[in-house]
Amino acid sequence: MVERIEDLNLPNAVVGRLIKDALPEGANVSKEARAAIARAASVFVIFLTSSSTTLARKQNHKTITAANILDALKQLEFESFVEPLSTDLEAYRKAVKDKKDKAKSSSATAVANNSSANDEEMETEKTS
Amino acid sequence: MVTLKTFYLLINQLIAIKSFARFQKMASEELFSAEFSEEILDKQDDKEEQLEIVDEESEIVAEVKEIETESADIAQAATVEKANSTSENSGPEARLFQLPLTRIRNLMKLDPDMNIASTEAVFVVTRSTELFIESLAREAFSYTTQSKKKTVQKRDVDLAISSVDSLMFLDGAMNF
Repeated sequence: MVERIEDLNLPNAVVGRLIKDALPEGANVSKEARAAIARAASVFVIFLTSSSTTLARKQNHKTITAANILDALKQLEFESFVEPLSTDLEAYRKAVKDKKDKAKSSSATAVANNSSANDEEMETEKTS
Repeated sequence: MVTLKTFYLLINQLIAIKSFARFQKMASEELFSAEFSEEILDKQDDKEEQLEIVDEESEIVAEVKEIETESADIAQAATVEKANSTSENSGPEARLFQLPLTRIRNLMKLDPDMNIASTEAVFVVTRSTELFIESLAREAFSYTTQSKKKTVQKRDVDLAISSVDSLMFLDGAMNF
């Protein structure tokens, strides 16, 4: 569970950067406005989670999946988010998969090295 | 002291959202059941449309399978996420997300009805929160320009919230 209450606030610096990136150059954001947007984002997370849980429960799933979140977004009139999110999700899946493959390939190369060493041993045995 | 107060208010907000979600659920369930019974009627009566329905069914089965494999991946994914979040922060490749996943997961865990969220789900929530921040900022900025100013004030955010339909859920959540 949450250990400190500050753990519930989204980091100010990141929120500030996200806002800055969204606005044209020369635009400023007051501290209060940034705090308000950060709070709104926290509430958004809770709201989205709650709707997704409801959807997951309807399907008799205990685990919330990415599909549940996307469905919930559609239901909450945030359809415009769904398309960019789908591409992001694909990129994320790919990144995770690459990571797995890397881990696998590094262990696989170790195995391959072993087996090639074995082969060499076999060959040397044969030649001898 | 202030943060403690904020915490209680957040919890209050959560309760309010829960009841709102329940109301929505009731409404959408009615819709769903209507759709469902229509489908059943289709199956029984229109044998000509059976092919189409079979297609739909196989789609659903595929979807269910996808979801099952996803949930089967969670145990793995949980460990993957740990490795991921640490290496992605320092990784050379473009960052996929900027907000901290753990913070978002903690926020999601406030929901007493939530059991487990897959890593992918947490990622999607994180990304959508980023999109949400950006769209809210843009919406607020449009009011800033209307008043011929360059600095977004809290008033602009409040105006954006009260004028956009999909931001209705924030009404009353901002007064603390």
